[in-house]
Amino acid sequence: MFKKNAVAAGMAAFASVALTAGCAVADGSKGSDVDITAMSADELAEHLIFETDSFRDQEMQEGGDWRDRMTQDDLQKACSLKGDPDGETAGQVVAMARASYEAPESIELGDWRKGAELADSGYGYRQGHRTDDHSQREAGGNCYNCHVFDPRVSDQGTVGPSLQNYGANRGTSEAVLRYVHEVISNPHQYFPCTQMPRFNSDRHQLLSDEQISHIMAYLLDPESPVNNQ
Amino acid sequence: MFKKALLALPVAMAVGATAQAGEWQDPNDVLQQFLQENPDSAYLHQSEMNIMMMPDNPALWLVDEGEDLFYAQRGPNNVSLEGCDFGKGPGELDGAYVELPRYFEDTGKVMDFEMRLVHCMKELQGFTSDDAAVARRHGSGSDIMKLTTFIAHQSSGMAWNPPLDHPQEQAMRDAGEKLFYRRGGAMDFNCASCHGDVGKQIRASVLPHVGAGPEWSKAVSWPAHRAGHDNVRSQNHRIRGCVWQMRHAGIKADTPVNTALISYWNDQARGEPAILPDLKR
Repeated sequence: MFKKNAVAAGMAAFASVALTAGCAVADGSKGSDVDITAMSADELAEHLIFETDSFRDQEMQEGGDWRDRMTQDDLQKACSLKGDPDGETAGQVVAMARASYEAPESIELGDWRKGAELADSGYGYRQGHRTDDHSQREAGGNCYNCHVFDPRVSDQGTVGPSLQNYGANRGTSEAVLRYVHEVISNPHQYFPCTQMPRFNSDRHQLLSDEQISHIMAYLLDPESPVNNQ
Repeated sequence: MFKKALLALPVAMAVGATAQAGEWQDPNDVLQQFLQENPDSAYLHQSEMNIMMMPDNPALWLVDEGEDLFYAQRGPNNVSLEGCDFGKGPGELDGAYVELPRYFEDTGKVMDFEMRLVHCMKELQGFTSDDAAVARRHGSGSDIMKLTTFIAHQSSGMAWNPPLDHPQEQAMRDAGEKLFYRRGGAMDFNCASCHGDVGKQIRASVLPHVGAGPEWSKAVSWPAHRAGHDNVRSQNHRIRGCVWQMRHAGIKADTPVNTALISYWNDQARGEPAILPDLKR
């Protein structure tokens, strides 16, 4: 109890977090020595993630450990919002995303059949009670979860916009190719704080350049079923 | 009963008087009321099959099994769980489930339902973390899910009403809200990526919206028989699945991140009757 009071009295919340790291217990039977009411909601959320043994200590598929994955970068921090960002935040997020994007010298469409498989695959990057093993199976793009590409194939999600006839409506000019590559790599360049993941950004590369070229082919190739509906 | 009331009194005083939670209602009656009052909710109406099956919800089997377990003398200490205080006094289960998580004086912290149940199984009955009774958290065959379903059923139809009188309760609820909207992990998702809008689908699954009262009450109404898993699942199981799909790190059972999220979940369903147990896709 002495420690509880001592910590509560006059120490900045983050200092107390650092001092008492490791004291919080995970078995649900004892209170921790940290005064959680002395923290702001943001500080307590960070404390709960990093200092209460709430996550398994595992290596992540993209490299690094669980702490690296759970540590927010600037874009994630800026987009931790209820609802849409205000104008200023949106501008900052777009600037951040643009600054980190590296355009390839040239962009070519890959194989739309492989792109269809990648768009459909929800495998990859899952951690915990079952962990995806990328040496056994390549990670997919998860695209069908949120976008309709071709409703003839399966049930597809509606969190993002429908992409039916995407290429048929836009063609395959250099400008379109560059735009689609930018959006898949880091969609915040155009849609600040979108729910869509960054598949190739300064944070990490979730899809290889080749995989992105296949998914782009699925979207844009005139032969792709996406463009024949 | 008199003795139980006396024991409950200090707890009630400690957390302050809470609003009347309402009368017990059959879970199917609650669901039918939601369906009639919300004819346009794609989430509530998404599975005709599940709505039809609701009166014969397989989770109801666990209610009886859980009741036997609750009153049985078990564990190294050979006692029942009647001495367990879920916030309304030892052994008082009516309305207890919908008034969690809450602050417990004896542990000095906010505990969610499962955390409290495990605490009692260890402290009263003497089970250890390695005993199957405590170690097995998931599946209809687990003691934890049987007990959870029996205890939760005693609050069916009552309004979600997690107390916020204690500063720690408010702190955990507010941190849970931050966690809900905290973008992170390998794919930048937060909970609102899927639950921030009405009527959206991930593949074939219509998602509940955190702001939509009856939808959200049904969404957090676990335990529920999950048809696709053919097992009864808990709030903690739902969190584990969501966090896994979100590509955050692997969350552990019985940890404060769960408690904070559940504090926010249940607060967002406040005032709406709970469906206990529910049946989900």
